Amino acid sequence: MNDRTFVTSQSLLMTASSMVFPFYLLLIRNIGDSYSQFGLAYGLFALTGALAHPVIGRLSDKIGDRTLLLLYTWGMAGMMLVVPIIETVSALYALQIVMGVLGAVQKTTEKTALSRQSSGKQIGRKIGNYHLWTSVWGAAAVIATGYLIDFLTIGSLFYLASLLYVISAVILMKSASIESVKETKKPVQT
Amino acid sequence: MKKWIAAVILIYSFALFLSLHVYSKQQQNDTVRDASKLLPTKMKVVTATSSTKDLQQWVRKAGRMKETIAIAGMQHSQGGQTLYPNGTLLNMKGYNKILKFQPKTKKITVQSGATWADIQTKINPYGLSLKVMQSQNIFTVGGSLSVNVHGRDIRYGSLVDTVESFHLLKADGEIINVSRTENSEWFPYVIGGYGLFGVILDVTLQLADDELYQHRTVEMDYSEYTAYFKEKVKNDRSVRMHLARLSVAPKSFFKELYVTDYVLVDDQRKLNKYDELKKETIVALPKFMLGLSRYSDKGKNLLWDTQKKYFIKNDGKYESRNNVMRSDSEFMEYENPNRTEVLQEYFVPVDEFSAYVDDLRTLLKKEDLNLLNITIRFVEHDENAVLSYAKDDMFALVLLINQGRSKQEIQKTEKVVQKMIDVTLKHDGSYYLPYYSYPTKRQLHEAYPRIDEFFEKKRVLDPDERFKNLFYVRYGK
Repeated sequence: MNDRTFVTSQSLLMTASSMVFPFYLLLIRNIGDSYSQFGLAYGLFALTGALAHPVIGRLSDKIGDRTLLLLYTWGMAGMMLVVPIIETVSALYALQIVMGVLGAVQKTTEKTALSRQSSGKQIGRKIGNYHLWTSVWGAAAVIATGYLIDFLTIGSLFYLASLLYVISAVILMKSASIESVKETKKPVQT
Repeated sequence: MKKWIAAVILIYSFALFLSLHVYSKQQQNDTVRDASKLLPTKMKVVTATSSTKDLQQWVRKAGRMKETIAIAGMQHSQGGQTLYPNGTLLNMKGYNKILKFQPKTKKITVQSGATWADIQTKINPYGLSLKVMQSQNIFTVGGSLSVNVHGRDIRYGSLVDTVESFHLLKADGEIINVSRTENSEWFPYVIGGYGLFGVILDVTLQLADDELYQHRTVEMDYSEYTAYFKEKVKNDRSVRMHLARLSVAPKSFFKELYVTDYVLVDDQRKLNKYDELKKETIVALPKFMLGLSRYSDKGKNLLWDTQKKYFIKNDGKYESRNNVMRSDSEFMEYENPNRTEVLQEYFVPVDEFSAYVDDLRTLLKKEDLNLLNITIRFVEHDENAVLSYAKDDMFALVLLINQGRSKQEIQKTEKVVQKMIDVTLKHDGSYYLPYYSYPTKRQLHEAYPRIDEFFEKKRVLDPDERFKNLFYVRYGK
């Protein structure tokens, strides 16, 4: 996968997710009216993530990082449209489950994509570089949102994040240089 | 690939449209949170119900378990009136049925968790309107009674005057009917009682006719205001409602002022053209402008100019009484995690206004206070509630203040607020009690000479202190 496109799109993702994260937490706390509901909502997220990881790992070998990454990006763009309108705890639980799966997709693909691109050489440097830029964007987003929120409604913040996900997805789709990195070779037998 | 991109974007656009559609629908019936955000308090249980029996059982149970109860509506009181550590919070919002509506005798009986908006929706088709309420309609009836609100109306007195009777759930679990003739000793304490005497269950309110008004907006210097008000507003019976705004913009700080009078239109037959209940449509722009004004002097000047232009442009506009009583509020919601917006309200006799504004200006020029807005309303002399703020015909100045939530920031605001209250008291004024507990006990006694009597009566009527909140702890002990 093309390095720059990958880092750009991932940075955009990071920007979007850092932007909404504090307010997403706030939302969960406001909808669930007790700490046990808050705990359950968060637990569901972590648990579905955990269960999804092995499946997603295998999928990534089969259908490629790019497809998964696109699934994640479009999925998040869609979820950001759902967040502002949910009102009930059960809807929140459902949302957390989907977010758990999507989160697992992101975690896996960012690692597999990074490692596949670099064919083993200078992978440390690449990872360093990757984390630098995505984190810088994440940080900038958090700081900017702190100011922005005085001017925007919380709802519009989620829509803005959704838009960022869309842009990121389109970048990924347009970039011709990204091949579908399928495993052509069989995995090394051990 | 291009086809694919087009396809997903198409699907996405559809989803976006759908989401925005639902979202805008939801925003029309908005919910509100705790208002000052300065008193995060852990409550033991939060309970809500729509059944009177449940409420009665909970109060009795709290009695057996020796627990305390705080009562909450929309929680826009900012001084902990709805909070008590480890207490039970009775969330009354779901207790909101309209029990009885008699259009002929112009009366309505509602459960205390009903909001003004609920009532307006019910009575507007009958050409009826509320007599007294706040300028916004998001508040519950029970909460409004407990703080004895007032609003833009200048003809019907305080809210207490429009209440026929109510049922009260006492600390011992008994339910009594309270009116001016039945159990009347409770009446002046529960209204303006800050939730300390029992749970207001249902309330019977007097209604007025919905009327068509024409806006009359006039700009003037603050020094001309008292004379204008006496001559053009108070003495002209056709003026039914009134609101003024005093500048907090640096270039005209506490000098410029404009008023909007709501004047009864001669031909009331036109009312049916204007009597559809309005909804808050433009949120983003006023929110953005208010946002700018939080940060800079330039922003404050810009907001003042724009707002003034907007009001003056509306001069001559027709509006129904019900619509005047459902003014916008959503744009003021503020989500900054470190800062918050608090209110102060000062009452000052009409004749003292100019001198008072001069003193306040001198004080605030020296102090560092992020003041965003001041609106002025009128309250007629009315001492029907024990904790009455209208000891005379008064102007009520509502100040919107942006401040941090840290301890230092709270102390900083406290210092300025106490000085402002001293200035207010010097002019025979008073201040409103639902806001953050900045005032000292001495200031409270000066503003409310009957405060000791109020707290003593509380201990007589609720000897086990079943109903308790932070306001009571701060001032009543």
